[in-house]
Amino acid sequence: MNLPTREQAGVLIVSVSGRIDHTASEEFTLALEPLLARCAKGQPALLLDFSAVDYISSAGLRVLMMASRRAKAQQGIFAIAALQPLVQEVFAISRFNLIVPCYASVDAACKVIGA
Amino acid sequence: MSRLPEMLLAVIRAGRGRAFPLLLLLLAAGLLMQPDMQPLLGIREAQFDHYQRLLPRQRDSEPVVIVGIDSQSLVQLGQWPWSRDLIADLVDKIHTGQPLVLGIDVVFAERDRYSPEVLAKHIPDMAAGTLAVLPEPDRKLARALEGTPTVLAIAGLSQALPGGRQPAKPLPVFDHDRRRDAFLPHFVSALVSRPIIEAAAAGEGLINATPELEKTDNQRGVLRRVPALAFVDEQPFLSLPLEMVRVALGDGGNVRTENGPQGVQAIHIGDYRLPVLRSGELLLHFGRSSAHYYLSAADVLAGAYDPELFRSRFVIIGFNSTGLQDRIVTPLGESLPGVDIHAQVIESLLASQALQRPYWIQWAEMATLLCIGLALIAFVPRLRARYAVLSFALASIAILTGGYLSFFAARYLFDGASLLFLLCPPFISLLGNTLITADTLRRAAEAQLQNSREEAARMNGELDAARRIQMGLLPDTATLFPDERRFSVAALLEPARAVGGDYYDCFMLDDRRVCVAIGDVSGKGVPASLFMAVSKTLTGTLTRRHSALGSAFRDIEAELNRENPEYLFVTAFIGVLDIDTGHLEYVCAGHDAPLIVRNGEVLAIDIRAIAGPPLCAAGSYPFESAGMQLQAGDLLCLFTDGVTEAMNGNEMFGNDRLRATIATFRSLAVQDCASALRDAVRHFEAGHPPADDLTLLLLRWHGATGSSN
Repeated sequence: MNLPTREQAGVLIVSVSGRIDHTASEEFTLALEPLLARCAKGQPALLLDFSAVDYISSAGLRVLMMASRRAKAQQGIFAIAALQPLVQEVFAISRFNLIVPCYASVDAACKVIGA
Repeated sequence: MSRLPEMLLAVIRAGRGRAFPLLLLLLAAGLLMQPDMQPLLGIREAQFDHYQRLLPRQRDSEPVVIVGIDSQSLVQLGQWPWSRDLIADLVDKIHTGQPLVLGIDVVFAERDRYSPEVLAKHIPDMAAGTLAVLPEPDRKLARALEGTPTVLAIAGLSQALPGGRQPAKPLPVFDHDRRRDAFLPHFVSALVSRPIIEAAAAGEGLINATPELEKTDNQRGVLRRVPALAFVDEQPFLSLPLEMVRVALGDGGNVRTENGPQGVQAIHIGDYRLPVLRSGELLLHFGRSSAHYYLSAADVLAGAYDPELFRSRFVIIGFNSTGLQDRIVTPLGESLPGVDIHAQVIESLLASQALQRPYWIQWAEMATLLCIGLALIAFVPRLRARYAVLSFALASIAILTGGYLSFFAARYLFDGASLLFLLCPPFISLLGNTLITADTLRRAAEAQLQNSREEAARMNGELDAARRIQMGLLPDTATLFPDERRFSVAALLEPARAVGGDYYDCFMLDDRRVCVAIGDVSGKGVPASLFMAVSKTLTGTLTRRHSALGSAFRDIEAELNRENPEYLFVTAFIGVLDIDTGHLEYVCAGHDAPLIVRNGEVLAIDIRAIAGPPLCAAGSYPFESAGMQLQAGDLLCLFTDGVTEAMNGNEMFGNDRLRATIATFRSLAVQDCASALRDAVRHFEAGHPPADDLTLLLLRWHGATGSSN
C-alpha cells in the first residue's frame, strides 16, 4: 500500500485511500510501521487523511487501535481526519472516536494538534 | 534399474548435461579433420553430387567436336587398332575444315602392323623391290599431323613399365616451386607415341583419370576429379584438353599457377583461369550429356559431313564404342565415353568455371561445426524440449541452405550434410538430458502436488474438527426452548472461512429473564475463532454471575484484556428481556444497533447514550446499560457486519436493504425470518465469496400471556 506523506503546520499528514478490509489491513499495517516508529515525543504529530478511504472493516479498525496504542506508548500524537460518511458511521457504531481522535478536516486537525 | 543404464544416465547428465555433448563435439571436430574417412566421405560426395544434379553445368556453346571411333566405324572399317594410314586419312579429312586444334585420345606407342619391317617379318620371302615401295603408315600419319596443330595423348605411369619413356613435349615455360609441386602427381614414366609421330605433334597431354576406385566402395568409380597438371620425371604436362587449349592459344598460351598457402589453387592458361585442388586435380562441374557433337569416324572418312563443321573448333578423335571399354560414370549418374570428359574440361576452361573447394572451406566447416555445436550446448539445456528440437531443426536448415546457396552462387562445395551428421550425436545427448530433466522435474512436481494435497486434506480435517467444535459452542435455538410460548428465538452463523470470529448466545438467566448476546471478533479465521471461543464463554459466565449488565460487561473486558497479546477486540451486544413485562435491558460495545420490527415498521434500539467502544479496544471503559419497553409481537433482530457489509462486487448490502428486508417479516416464524434474511444477503452477493462471517439472532416477544402458535 502506497502512503504519500506531506507536512503541514508541523504535522505529518499521511493520505490513505481505498478499502481497508481484511486483506488490505496487513499491507496497511506494514506501510504504517515506519511512520509509527517516528511518532514519538518531540516528533511531528501523525495525522491520517481518510478522505479517500471508502470502507474500513473491523480488521482495519484493529490496525488503527494498535497504531493508537503504540503512539500513546511512545507519547506521540496520532489522529485521523476527514472521514467519509460511511466510514464515519462505522466509527460511530464502534465508538472508535473514543479510541482515536477524529477531526472533521485536515485543517481542523492541524489547528488542534499542530505545533 | 541395472548398473549399465544408470552409468549411461550419469554420463549423459554429467556437468548439467553439457560434458558428454562437448566430448562428442570434440570427437566430431576430430572426425572432420579426416576428410577421407568413411562415413563422412560418402556423405560428402553424395551431398556434392546432389548439388550438381540440382544445378548441372549449362552447356550453351559447343566448342568441341568429337570424331568417335564407334561401333559403326568398327563394322565398316574393321577391327581396332586401325592401320595408321587410315587414321592419317581421317586426320586429313578433318584438316580440310581447319579446326583450332586436333586432339587424339590414342597413344601410338608401337610400330604399325603394316609397316614394311613388320610385314617383312611376317612374309620372309617378299621381294626386296616390293618392300621398298610399301607405304610407311607411321610416316604418313606424322605427315598428316604436321598440317594442323595436334595434341597427342600420353598416359602417365607410376612405375616403370616396358615401353614407357619420357615424352618429348613438356610445357615449354614453367617455373618450379618445391612446396607447390610436392602435392602434384608425379609419374616416373609414360606411355608415349612413337618418336616419329610425336615429333610431328604440337603438344602432348595426359589422359590419366582419377576414378575414386581405391577410396570408396559405395560410389563405385564415379569420376569427380580430373587431373589437370602433373609431372612425368620432373617435366610438367597438362592434361590433353588443357594442352589443346594451350596449343590453340599459340604464343598467348602461357601456363602459370596461382598458389595459395596450401599449394596450387588455380591454373592460368593465357587469360583463362581454372580453379583446381592442390593435387592439381580439377573438380569438374558436369553438364548433362549430349550426342550433338559426336560424329562417327566412318562418316567423316566417307565425307558425309561438310568440313566447315570443324572450322575454329576443337576436334578430338577418341573411342565411342562400348566394345572398347572406356566409359566413366559421372556424379549426374550418367555413363559417358571417357573422351566426353575432355570435351567438358575444355568447356569448363573456356567458361573459367569449375567446382571450388579451396583450402579455407574446410576451416569454414570446422568453424560452423564448433559455433553451432557450442551454441547448442550453451542453449539447449535452457530450453524446453520442443524449442530445443525447433532450434536444432532451424540450425540444420540454415547449414544445409548455406551449402546449397554457396553452391548456387559461386560453385563452392560446402559440406552441410556432414556437419549435420556430426552435430546429431551431441544434440541427441543434449535432448536426452533435457527430456530426463523434464521427466525428473515432472515427477518431483507430481510428488509435491501429492504432498500438498495430503497437507491440505490434513489441514482441512483439522479445520473441520475446529469448525465442529466451534459450532458446538453455539446453542441450537431450534431445540433450546421447546415449550416456551412467550417468545421464540432463531439464530444462524455462517463463517466466511472454515472457522469464524462471530458468536451468538441465548439462555435463561432465571425463569422470567432471557438473555441474548451477539459478538464479532476483529478479523476472521483461526485467530479470531480462538478469541471468539473465549469471549463467548466469558460472556455467558459473567452475565449469569453479575446482577447488573454494565458491571458484567466491564468484568468481561477486564478478563479478556488480561491475556490479549494480539490486541484483538470484540464488538458485542447483550440484551436481557423480562418475558413477563417485555422490558429489555441492554449494553453495547461498538456493535451495530439491533433493529426492532414493530407492526411492519423498523426501529433501531437507541444505544447512543450508552454505547462504548469494542471490548478490549480502549482499555477499561465504564459500560452502562439502558432499557426500553417492547410490545407484544415485536421482532428483535441482532446481526453482525457480515450482513450489512456483504458485497456484490460494487456496493454493500447496507442498512437500508437490511431494513427493507426485515420490514416484510410480519408474522413469519423467526426460523423462517432468519433463513429469508440470509437468503436475501446471499442473493445480493450473487456468487461473490462472503468477506466476513454472517451471524443473525432473531427474537420475537409474544407478550406475557404467550402466543397461540
